Amino acid sequence: MPPALLTTSLVNSIQIGSLYALMALGITLTFSVMKLPNFAHADYFTAGAYAALIVSLSGAQNPIAIMSAAFLVGALTALLSHLAVFKPLESREVSLYTLILASFAVGLIIRYILFTMADYFNLFDLRIGIPLQVLYREGFLILSNIFAWVVPTTIALVILLTLLLNATPLGREMRALANNINLARVIGIPVERVKNSTWLLVGGLAGVAGALWSLQTAVNPLMGWAAIISVFAAAILGGLSSFSGTIIGAYVVAFSENTVILFLNYSFGLDLAYKPAIPFIIIIAVLLIRPGGFTQLLKRGGKLQR
Amino acid sequence: MLLELKHLRKDFGGLRAVDDVSLNVPEGAIIGLIGPNGSGKSTLINLIAGTIDLTAGQVIFAGEDISGLSADAVFHKGIARGYQEPTLYFKMTVLDNLLLPVKGQRGERPWYAPRWSTWQREERAHALAAMEVLRQVQLLPYYDTLASDLSGGQMKLLEIARALMGAPKLLLLDEPTAGVAPKLAYDIFRQIARLRDDHGITLLIVEHRLEILFDFVDYVYVMHLGNLLAGGSAAEISDHATVREVYFGD
Amino acid sequence: MINIDIGATAIAILTLFGIYSLMAISLNLEYGIAGVPNFGQALFVSIGAYTAGITYTRVLPLLAGLESVHPCGPTMGQALQLRSEIMAAQPLAGFINLGLTFLIAAIVSGAVGFAVSYVTLRLKEEWFLALVLLVGGETVRIVVRGADDFICSHNGISGVAQPFYFLRDPHSSSLLFMLLCLALALVAYVYSQRLAHSPYGRMLKGLRENEDVTRGLGKGISLARAQIMLIGSAIAAVGGVLFALNTGFVNTNDYVVNLTLDIWVMVVLGGIGNNRGALLGAALIAILDRFTQVGAIALNMSGSEIEFNYVRFIAFGLILLLMLRYRPTGLLPESRLTTNAHDVVRRAIGASNQPPTPSRHRDGGHPKHQGGGAMRET
Repeated sequence: MPPALLTTSLVNSIQIGSLYALMALGITLTFSVMKLPNFAHADYFTAGAYAALIVSLSGAQNPIAIMSAAFLVGALTALLSHLAVFKPLESREVSLYTLILASFAVGLIIRYILFTMADYFNLFDLRIGIPLQVLYREGFLILSNIFAWVVPTTIALVILLTLLLNATPLGREMRALANNINLARVIGIPVERVKNSTWLLVGGLAGVAGALWSLQTAVNPLMGWAAIISVFAAAILGGLSSFSGTIIGAYVVAFSENTVILFLNYSFGLDLAYKPAIPFIIIIAVLLIRPGGFTQLLKRGGKLQR
Repeated sequence: MLLELKHLRKDFGGLRAVDDVSLNVPEGAIIGLIGPNGSGKSTLINLIAGTIDLTAGQVIFAGEDISGLSADAVFHKGIARGYQEPTLYFKMTVLDNLLLPVKGQRGERPWYAPRWSTWQREERAHALAAMEVLRQVQLLPYYDTLASDLSGGQMKLLEIARALMGAPKLLLLDEPTAGVAPKLAYDIFRQIARLRDDHGITLLIVEHRLEILFDFVDYVYVMHLGNLLAGGSAAEISDHATVREVYFGD
Repeated sequence: MINIDIGATAIAILTLFGIYSLMAISLNLEYGIAGVPNFGQALFVSIGAYTAGITYTRVLPLLAGLESVHPCGPTMGQALQLRSEIMAAQPLAGFINLGLTFLIAAIVSGAVGFAVSYVTLRLKEEWFLALVLLVGGETVRIVVRGADDFICSHNGISGVAQPFYFLRDPHSSSLLFMLLCLALALVAYVYSQRLAHSPYGRMLKGLRENEDVTRGLGKGISLARAQIMLIGSAIAAVGGVLFALNTGFVNTNDYVVNLTLDIWVMVVLGGIGNNRGALLGAALIAILDRFTQVGAIALNMSGSEIEFNYVRFIAFGLILLLMLRYRPTGLLPESRLTTNAHDVVRRAIGASNQPPTPSRHRDGGHPKHQGGGAMRET
């Protein structure tokens, strides 16, 4: 495998892995706190990307403004789906499959609202108007301004999230819910408020991930759904309960999809069309061999971990 | 001996829920298993029934080592069980609850299932057998009722009746009178005693209501913190100093 | 204005109804009766369609005694013409090919369903099965689309003609095809009804309600679940074959998650666990689908810029959510499962004495029981 390709694919792995991480953390958080594997998560991401696109098309090129808009739209979409759909269903104590099905339906609705909107305003396959620039070049290593946005933002958000979870009252309350929701209720934690905050946080993260994604690739209504399998693979690798596990999982998935497949292509002639099979293989392998994901390796007890 | 437990042990992570328990259940006996909450009684029942895997030790049933068998295999060997909370099929009728556990039904195989004529005669016989059992536990008028519509006491009886349909040699009951009014509790125990007298079923019963239990059992084992503390007749156990200390706190 | 040919519309709707019924009955057996959350229905349907794509291009010419032409790439048009000629001139070859297609599709799909069910026994949490099926369906689709020689990757295979194409009269050939679809749906319905009202159906419902207890009552639940997956998957694949023949086209894009969701909508709408409900759901969706198509055309012709197909998906999502929230039992709630046993007992009681009216009362105390109130039907 030529070194130029290797370096580029590694840079891609890091960039895409960061975006996967932002999304997968949301899935892990939803699953830990709300006990819900939320397949609509993909579409909060897409909604965020479209918010970013629209803000940027309307003239604002300030990345902070773009990302705030994406956060806001993602957060509100998530909160709305909780209040309108998941909360009433949960209060009826429906089965987990009903909730999963409902999350599919929510995703479907968001996706096709976006389709209708994109169709009406001609917003298919557009990119945010920030031009691609090369910031750094050293031998084969080329880093773009997009890389410089994606990776530090991810790191900053992960640090913020970790702080929030471990050093704030809200974080403590979220962990209490993750451990035992009934106990949390008994000891007087405002469960509904904590849930609402979690939804806002989770949706916002997905929205920001969508905005960052739209810096590197054109936006379309299916982009979230296209990424969801990889993102679930990352969350499953993290055992759906650990932050560090999820982040490692995200980079592992991105690395497999970008670098490993190229390596296999060069060494064994494997067709690149099989790339989408990678997250599937990861999911199956993890679920069958080591259902706890990396978390079992990093085990420290407790439900929601760093 | 119908059932022999040899040095049974179960660890949950670092916690030893059952620690080196050996006990015997002779055929045709009603054996009580008592102990404070968390003493490992329910775990012991789960271990015998194959609901959970044991860490070490042996379960010998009718001379055969059945340790490590799965729950369905254990049932086929002739051990049926009840649960602490009624775990009926609440969305099925009382009659269907009884028919489900019947062993070796031809109509349970998908090849025969759509061809009704191949199993309807057999089903008829099972239905009549279930009817007899229902009559015995006084649930016959409710055969067509959903299990969720029964009262708490009736649910307990139905659970016992259901276990009976698997024609067990040994029946494990986990607090058969939990949450039932005292008068009804006595009725339930009378029904249980008839299982032995009429059907020759051996019983191992976990129970908190000692005043009722002691009227019916041949022998009582006492568990405490995962260990077997004592064993003896009801009278002996009532007078046993250590038992009184851990159990009644005097 | 658009002219609506009522006869053709009725045939189209009834054909679709037959095909959807097979898919809905399949999911109802798997999820409604046995509680297996098959979020990969599109996969099993697609196995049927891909099988048709392969047999109609590779096997059909051989059956007609001709040399097959590679269906993809430069020879695509030639292969298409060959197919049409055989379908028009040699009905027997067409029918044998159709029979083979059904057989292969059902066997392959059944085997996949059986295997998946066994493999996923090792899964820690139940819903992982849903995830594996979902992800598996998407992955197979993407891999098939990527593979050049299978069904011509992105292009798909067109001209997979209906078996009655040789009649040369579109009206009567589609009428006969409709009858074929309805007949197969009827067979599947009768079969699934008989299955549900048998001791096997009883065991599956037990499995759905409480897996541990069912195992504790001596049932080999892994086998029972694998068997129903086999049956359900085979039925779905037969539906997939018909689906491909009906559209005349095999393309991976048809077998996305949206198809899975469509089938779920049918079952949830009609009534989970009720085979008649599955039929009702299939009928409603078939009608709705037809009217969306007509509506889309009408809307486009009236100059509206709103793409009606998108609205269809939004409507489906809303139907699902509304049903789950306000009528989780569906339009036709699950009927009480009975074998002949209840009649036997009723008669036996009637023979001995008048049955006392059971007094129904509850004193609670079954916390594990969820949503029972909604499921009850007297």
